[in-house]
Amino acid sequence: MSRSELYQEEFHPSPLQHTWLEFKENHIAVGGLCCFIFILTIVLFCNILAPFDPLLQKTDAILIPPAWEPNGSIVNVFGTDALGRDLLSRVMYGCQMTFGISIILVLVAMLVGVSVGAVAGMSRGVRSSVVNHTLDSMMAIPTLLIAIIIIAILGTGLVNSMWAITLALTPQFIHQTRDFVRQERKKEYVRAAKLDGAPPTQIFIRSILPNMGEVLVVQGTLALSIAILDISALGFLNLGAQAPTAELGAMLSEGIEVAYMAPWSIALPGAAIFLMMLSINLVGDGLRSALRNRLLH
Amino acid sequence: MLRVVLRFTNLVVLTLLALSFFSFVLIYLFPGEPLANLSGIPNPSPQEIEQLQHLYHRDSVFIVQYWYYLIDLFSGNWGLSFSSGLSLSSEVARTLPASIELSTYALLLSFIVGLPLGFLAGLRHHKTTDYALLSVSVLGYSIPVFWLAMLLILGFSLQLGWFPLSGRISLLYEVPRISGFILLDILWSDIENKSDVFIDAVRHLILPTLSIAAFTTTIILRIMRRSFIETMNSDYVQAAVARGLTSRQVIWKHAIRNSLMPILPLLGMQFTTLLTNAMIVEVIFSWPGIGNWLIQAIYQRDYPAIRVGMLAVATLVVIFTMTIDLFLRLVDPKKSKVERVAI
Repeated sequence: MSRSELYQEEFHPSPLQHTWLEFKENHIAVGGLCCFIFILTIVLFCNILAPFDPLLQKTDAILIPPAWEPNGSIVNVFGTDALGRDLLSRVMYGCQMTFGISIILVLVAMLVGVSVGAVAGMSRGVRSSVVNHTLDSMMAIPTLLIAIIIIAILGTGLVNSMWAITLALTPQFIHQTRDFVRQERKKEYVRAAKLDGAPPTQIFIRSILPNMGEVLVVQGTLALSIAILDISALGFLNLGAQAPTAELGAMLSEGIEVAYMAPWSIALPGAAIFLMMLSINLVGDGLRSALRNRLLH
Repeated sequence: MLRVVLRFTNLVVLTLLALSFFSFVLIYLFPGEPLANLSGIPNPSPQEIEQLQHLYHRDSVFIVQYWYYLIDLFSGNWGLSFSSGLSLSSEVARTLPASIELSTYALLLSFIVGLPLGFLAGLRHHKTTDYALLSVSVLGYSIPVFWLAMLLILGFSLQLGWFPLSGRISLLYEVPRISGFILLDILWSDIENKSDVFIDAVRHLILPTLSIAAFTTTIILRIMRRSFIETMNSDYVQAAVARGLTSRQVIWKHAIRNSLMPILPLLGMQFTTLLTNAMIVEVIFSWPGIGNWLIQAIYQRDYPAIRVGMLAVATLVVIFTMTIDLFLRLVDPKKSKVERVAI
């Protein structure tokens, strides 16, 4: 006999537990989460896990096919590229670079976006209208175009492309925060805080921000997949990370030259980007539907 | 109604003014001489400098200079390109239609494939078909567009040899330029073996269109599915069922039309993504569009070209999205209470 029957105890999960219970039901999303954790492990521990230095060139081992091909060797599991660098190590370090940078960019964009969005949401009249219009016109310009302009001004390079992508990611967070704040401001708990005499800053930090966590996580997963795509796209176009750096997009564009002889040199880095995007999108989708279902039940 | 139209026109004009001002400021921000960035003459001689100073009214106040810059913009006098020496207006007129053509076909394809599949998934909500379509759609929007394009090239051009690798049309054929849209140009022109040329152009189009459409299709599919499910749960559909209409009548007369509504604002939002993807794909397939042209301009540090290209693309995006928004507001009066006008 279980305890709950003895005491007629009811199970009241906290909102967070509830989300997890809903999320657990969705097996594909859980698979995505496992994949995400796997990638995170590689990103965090690639210094230990990678068999070779990503920049080490072995002139006697050029364009060795991956281990599963008939004439591949187990020393280089993913084979080597045109300069004899081990592709497995490069893909691992590339994941670290692409993924790590994207996470940093998303965090920065989130910080800036939430603060500006809070100001726009809590204020009214001219100030909010100015913020809105500036934002809207910024969102209209394609990311790649913003990146092109910034790179034309500052020159090519990874750091400059990071600026560009942060600039392009921020408006969505501002929108999301502003809409959320507007919507919450009408609710009673905010009014209660207001009646207690709390100033707007305090209302936002103490009352509204704690409720925003889930919205931000969902928006963050979206932004993360966009950031990964943009970083690697700029690397691919030679506008972001430059050639010797192990960055997945830059590796792809290096691989093009030998694509016919060594298709794995573009297939594997691309597959790594694809896997990252897939796991993030699956987790994001799972979270979104878990949140939606939680509100329904 | 008139007020809405006026407000939108006002907003478009203001946004375009802001964009043109930004592009004017860019000549100071870009490396090199502002005068060279403005005129497109890389290293002007002292004589030329004097001429150009006079031409662009460089000795007057900043705002007056901007005013003359605006006049130049409207008269199509956009300066020259550093790399080719041609006038930028003719370069943009050559590349922009090619990009628009590619994006349009990709968009059409995504609608043709995405809408019916979205309906199907919504109809079979929480059944195997639905789950299968959803899984495929997650694959579709996770795949990086440049990787997909390269895989398509590897598979269909290099291995199988079904489709050409790059470009817009085989070099053997010469099509006179009328509109800049290659398929229309071929149809209008009176060249020999027109059908062969047409087939050749279509074969060049297939791979780039497919790689751009993959992403958009999955987005359309997902939005359509969600919107259809929500419509089917709404009160008026319940009422229609309660009145005893057959499910066929309910779906065709009530659900489909109403669930199509959210597609349009989505189109406005996804247009920039579509354009970004198109720009990347153009580089891979050497498609002579504005994306490819801009990226080449970066490589060659062709600052006048970047300035004008940015202005052209941004103007296109603003006008397109605002038109869609305006159309929505006019079609669906319920939306008139939205406080934000998304550009």
